[in-house]
Amino acid sequence: MNQMLKMDQQIAKSEVMAREIKQSKELFRILFYRSPIGTYIIQNGHFQLVNRQLAYILGYEEDELIGRPSLGFVLAEDRDTVRENAVSMLKGGSSLGYEFRVVNKQAKIKWVMETVVPIYYRRKRATLGSLIDVTERKQMEERLKQITDEMQRSNTELEQFAYVISHDLQEPLRMVSSYTQLLAKRYSNKLDADADEFIAYAVDGAKRMQTLLHDLLDYSRVGTRGKPFSLVNCEHIVEQAMANLKIAIEECGASVSYDVLPTIMGDEGQLVRLFQNLIGNAIKFRREEAPQVNISAQRRNNTVTFSVKDNGIGIDPQHSQSIFEIFRRLHTREEYPGTGMGLAICKKIVERHGGHISVQSQPGQGSTFYFSVDMAGGEAE
Amino acid sequence: MKSKTAKRPIEILIVDDNPGDVRLTVEALKDGKVRNKLHTAHDGVEALSFLRRKGEYADAPLPDLILLDLNMPRMNGSQLLAEVKEDSALKHIPVVILTGSREIDDIIKTENLQADWYVTKPIDLEQFTRAVKSIIDFWLTTVKLQTEER
Repeated sequence: MNQMLKMDQQIAKSEVMAREIKQSKELFRILFYRSPIGTYIIQNGHFQLVNRQLAYILGYEEDELIGRPSLGFVLAEDRDTVRENAVSMLKGGSSLGYEFRVVNKQAKIKWVMETVVPIYYRRKRATLGSLIDVTERKQMEERLKQITDEMQRSNTELEQFAYVISHDLQEPLRMVSSYTQLLAKRYSNKLDADADEFIAYAVDGAKRMQTLLHDLLDYSRVGTRGKPFSLVNCEHIVEQAMANLKIAIEECGASVSYDVLPTIMGDEGQLVRLFQNLIGNAIKFRREEAPQVNISAQRRNNTVTFSVKDNGIGIDPQHSQSIFEIFRRLHTREEYPGTGMGLAICKKIVERHGGHISVQSQPGQGSTFYFSVDMAGGEAE
Repeated sequence: MKSKTAKRPIEILIVDDNPGDVRLTVEALKDGKVRNKLHTAHDGVEALSFLRRKGEYADAPLPDLILLDLNMPRMNGSQLLAEVKEDSALKHIPVVILTGSREIDDIIKTENLQADWYVTKPIDLEQFTRAVKSIIDFWLTTVKLQTEER
């Protein structure tokens, strides 16, 4: 009786075990063979066990892969990388997510990302690997890089174009301008009044075009002829800009002040130009009263934001973007002379220094120009 | 020596392919106080024939001063300058580079030019005239210095 019970118990136990084995086999089948990630075991460089997804990525049947050297599927140029990763895996315990190319059965190249860990399989050292197909992402990355390269190239070409035309147009313009001036010098008051007027317009037009070309050349030079960045003290920069504007400052009795300004990485000549243009504008676009200009700086993390504040005529907020475009003017030449390049040059200099420029203003209430600079001197390409 | 140079006009060779520029220089020199005689060559090859009195230039005088443009066909300004400065019969002649290029600093650095003076052709007529006059003043000073050295 007792023995019968024992047997029954044993039968029941082995039935449970059999069921458990069956269940765990099924679980293994699901987890391994149906995994959406390519999974495999490599021993002595050969595939010992592979799942369906790996076979799918490589374009083979699972049986065809067993016993074949795994490196054979790697694109020849990438084999060294894969070998190095296998070595570093043995040293470091695992090797996470490195990318290389494989060649599938249809001779198509695919980008894959592999993670491997060292294991023991049938009492011998082996490698457990998992692999996913990243071809689409890689293609997108490459496309993105192509687009970026293309944009950079066309941007450089455009700068070069602006530079060359503004430079080469100077030569013939010099002829027009010199000879109209010579005409004016030799023949004014010797021909009739009409002739004098016509010559005067020609001289004026040639002069204006010179200024335009000159400014366009300066604008294109910001990108093509910039100097390497060095440490510059912004208080010295502002002093230099003020020295360059000495006459203008004295003529209108302007007072220009500045707070404590930091030392940054930048192109000294261009930064002087930047402050000079902004202070110059603050003085040029003044109201009846004497201009007051104040420059200050605020640091936040790796960015310094400078402000140049004036008590001038101000700007309608609807123009606060467009004033930074090239040849943009808000006034007639009779009201305020200029080519409309000053702020465009400022914007380009600021952008080369990894920052942004903006303005806050209301008509009749002065303007404050803000621009940021990357302190670490990360020159924008 | 000094009185001798004052008696005859200064012989100036202007090497420039642009007739408009040559004429402007002529006009600018007219305003000056110093008597001068201007000769023109349109490129480096022609200028060398003039300086070495080859062919049609057999009777050409050796210039006292060379005004040299940089951008020219066949032989450009810097090539001609190198030739002149290597020629023992010519290297004493002061050479002034008179160019329309605003990139003069870059050019001097990259090509290591051996000119005596550099002038960028000013766009404004008044400034151009002044520049040409200052070249003549420069020349007079150079000649004076050379005379004193002797």
